[in-house]
Amino acid sequence: MIDFTSINASIESYLQSVLPAQVATLVECALIAVCAIAAYLVFAIVMIYMERKVCAAFQCRIGPDRVGFLGLLQVFADVFKMLIKEIIDIKDSDRALYTLAPFLVVMSSLITFSCLPFDNGLQVLDFNIGVFFIMAASSFGVLGILLAGWSSNNKFSMIGAIRSGGQMISYELSMSLCILTLVVLSGTMRVSEIVEMQREGWFIVRGHIPAIIAFLIYLIAGNAETNRAPFDLPEAESELTAGFHTEYSGMGFGLFYVAEFMNLFIIAGIATTLFLGGWTPLYIPGLDGFNAAMEWIPGIVWFLGKVFFVIWLLMWVRWTFPRLRIDQVLVLEWKYLVPIGLLNLLIMTVCVVMGWTL
Amino acid sequence: MMDIEYIDIKSFRQTMLDRRAAGMDFLREMIGMDWEAEGLGVIYILENSATHDVEELAVRITERDRPQIPTVSDIWQIAEMYEREVYDFYGIEFAGHPDMRRLFLRNDWVGFPLRKDYDPSETINPVRLESEKNEEIVREYDIAEDKQLAELVEKMKILHYDQFVINIGPQHPATHGVLRFRLSLEGEVLRKVDIHCGYIHRGIEKMCESRTYPQTLAFTDRLDYLSAHQNRHALCMCIEKAMGLEVTGRVQYIRTIMDELQRIDSHLLMFSCMAMDMGAITSFIYGFRDREKLLDIMEEVTGGRLIQNYNVIGGVQADITPGFAAKVKEYCNDQKKRLKEYYDVFVNNIIFRNRSIGVGILSREDAISFGTTGGTGRASGWACDVRKRHPYALYDKVEFKEIIHTGGDCYDRLLVRLEEIVESIHIIEQLIDNIPEGDFKTKTKPIIKLPEGRFYAAVEGSRGEFGVFIESHGEKTPYRLKFRPMGLPLIAAAQNIMKGHKVADMITIGASLDYVIPDIDR
Amino acid sequence: MTMGFLDNTYIGNILTAVKSLLTGLGVTLREFFTRKVTERYPENRKTQHISERHRAMLRMPHDEEGNNKCIACGLCQQACPNGTISITTRTVTDEESGKSKKVLAEYHYDLGACMFCQLCVNACPKGAIEFTNEFENAVFDRKKLIMKLNR
Repeated sequence: MIDFTSINASIESYLQSVLPAQVATLVECALIAVCAIAAYLVFAIVMIYMERKVCAAFQCRIGPDRVGFLGLLQVFADVFKMLIKEIIDIKDSDRALYTLAPFLVVMSSLITFSCLPFDNGLQVLDFNIGVFFIMAASSFGVLGILLAGWSSNNKFSMIGAIRSGGQMISYELSMSLCILTLVVLSGTMRVSEIVEMQREGWFIVRGHIPAIIAFLIYLIAGNAETNRAPFDLPEAESELTAGFHTEYSGMGFGLFYVAEFMNLFIIAGIATTLFLGGWTPLYIPGLDGFNAAMEWIPGIVWFLGKVFFVIWLLMWVRWTFPRLRIDQVLVLEWKYLVPIGLLNLLIMTVCVVMGWTL
Repeated sequence: MMDIEYIDIKSFRQTMLDRRAAGMDFLREMIGMDWEAEGLGVIYILENSATHDVEELAVRITERDRPQIPTVSDIWQIAEMYEREVYDFYGIEFAGHPDMRRLFLRNDWVGFPLRKDYDPSETINPVRLESEKNEEIVREYDIAEDKQLAELVEKMKILHYDQFVINIGPQHPATHGVLRFRLSLEGEVLRKVDIHCGYIHRGIEKMCESRTYPQTLAFTDRLDYLSAHQNRHALCMCIEKAMGLEVTGRVQYIRTIMDELQRIDSHLLMFSCMAMDMGAITSFIYGFRDREKLLDIMEEVTGGRLIQNYNVIGGVQADITPGFAAKVKEYCNDQKKRLKEYYDVFVNNIIFRNRSIGVGILSREDAISFGTTGGTGRASGWACDVRKRHPYALYDKVEFKEIIHTGGDCYDRLLVRLEEIVESIHIIEQLIDNIPEGDFKTKTKPIIKLPEGRFYAAVEGSRGEFGVFIESHGEKTPYRLKFRPMGLPLIAAAQNIMKGHKVADMITIGASLDYVIPDIDR
Repeated sequence: MTMGFLDNTYIGNILTAVKSLLTGLGVTLREFFTRKVTERYPENRKTQHISERHRAMLRMPHDEEGNNKCIACGLCQQACPNGTISITTRTVTDEESGKSKKVLAEYHYDLGACMFCQLCVNACPKGAIEFTNEFENAVFDRKKLIMKLNR
């Protein structure tokens, strides 16, 4: 297996040897930023293409197949189209906030993105309260949505943004409860340690019933966090045309769009890290030959495979269900997910204390 | 031939109140008329919803500058819309009407277009490029028995400017066309709904007055394009009735089958669009995928998918194709299986159930008072199917069930449609193997003239009763041709039942009522 | 969908809800693997089936010698509700009998104004015009939609 820790260390020692310490750190930061943004964009492109094809398959269609082989260049064509769109000057809009809003949303998702452990050592940010940091970083994206709605001087945007505020802040709660349940099981908040602990059995197996419940609630809440159907009320197209981003055109809209997809990736990434063992391969106690064979598959493949599987699950849900109404969204959260989440946390704690985990 | 009883204007209101008390609770149709020398007037067609007795009344007024007729909008709720339409086209003011605005034309329109002395020249009504001002002040005519003319009062405001008002439409993904709602919101809750129509008003009734009878046929497909067959069936039936022309058995079979195919088509579209309006895009595509097969079958016979152009006076445009019966049977069997899928993926889904059960309840009384025929009325427990009430074509010979639900909410309205698909398939299966031999068209004279008189024929369109009223003065063009819109009662009811619900519910209610705008606007 | 003793309880509601959601997911999963229904136009031009009766454009059939059946009676022009058809005639004198006869000079048809109601075809006493199902008639200039049908 490739261990990225040693590669990182060798790059660092090389830079340190040729450059003064401060400059070396600066160069490292720049390198990492470039890599992170590049990865961010690559995954966004892959996911937009995937969404189109998966959605088409669920709907008995073929999906894009005109631009490039199997429509592979479709996303690039879309981006090009967005780039050449006119940026409209909105009457009486709050110009500064209006411009800032999409960047806030992207920033939030980019920071969270950099906390994901793609492989052993292939992680930008890793410290002892990593999980905590992920939750904090991902939750300020709602600010961008609220600002977008407020600054657009459009009643549809406004309603969309208010809905989004109510929804995202509520669902943050049950998401945190699920993560907390897993922290109870793992006993650490450091992302790399959480993954390392799952080498001999993923948490969803080791935590059995409470972990599975937490996983499901996490997926529901995560879906709501990303504003995707059936929780796409902030942009409910049949009610609010496009909700909070009604007035955005060109790349302003493009950034919201990319951020939505990347938030989905992040939700799936966190679910993979916490529940499905991150980059660790499938481990079945007793089958040593099988386990050794699994070890040969690189960790990054494991991680991405699991992430895209979770994304596919979420797409499946998205393309099946109708949209909820705002009061039902809140009822689902406050009357069902939060109580069940709390109870589940209690069960998990009892399990851990009594040693009933696998 | 209609037998119209003229009522004196002085005793008009009392007569109408008496009729209502006598059980005439369904105002089927209200037709504005301009009889030139005999003055302006209105024809009312009333029906008893229990016994299906029909009565035709008319009131005339010779005054042309400010003709006034007492309102009946407090007796039948739908009259509020119908009277606005009559006011719009004929300038008859209805004393006591709470909201005397134009319905289809712009507020600044000059003249009343369906009057026979209307001057259509462009200098009077040029193409106006500036947008129409919202009329916030409503003119209301006080009923005053002792006065010559009712007093004009400007009192009620439609939507006050300090309310949070949003516009849904005319261009909006969920209005199914160019309909405009002005919603006064309190948070997400609708306080008041004001519907504006007329964005696709083409003046079809006015145009018909200068077209020969065969030429008027072309317009019917363009009213409610999802019941193109039924619309045209109604007009052909009305003309044939007036001519005393009997169509062959084969034509009756073909017409009935095509009507039912069209109904399935429309109900599938209703299901699909309702799913899409509620965010279930996949269900939408499933519905459309199956509808496509039906359209292929219809195209094979009629040559059209939306504008079918099939019924003509005395028969149909062309005989059915040889493989038609087999294809229809195959489709029917397939569709029955598909319906289960719709239930599984959408109708029984807990999210949809929660969003539609108990939402937008229209009571049976309101349904009748608003005259919301079709699936909407039947979902409220009102047996209003024209096929049962006043059977035409072969509907008294085939066996089928009238689907009635009693909830009156959005869920029931969808269920009625889906169950009607099964009934339609059932009707088709009874007919498809027994189409008798015969001519597909009875020869008619090249120039068709109807005898003098008034004629009314109604069919069950895809979303309610579609009626055609013709007043003929013995010429080759109709003196007055009125289509009973299926959608106008629906949006009148929508305006009422949307109140107090949330924005999202407004979309659900709109989708479940299943209106088609070109039919409302005509 | 009943759950027996759990009906309308908190847990029962959750279970029925989950069951209905899973049924829906099952349907979409099945469709995920079924054959797709998309038709690839224009690649399928050869196999594509357009109904014989589809009305896409008015045509005046000519026989091998370039003669049509039109007798320039103008009934189609009268029947058209939109004024789509305009006919110009000229008078020719038969050399043998010496009688003068009206014949068709030009038959103009405006595809852009046509609403395909088929009244002209129905009105024609000679069957000189018909609708064809050649539907690829898009052009960039409206003037090109005004066509001369006779040769």
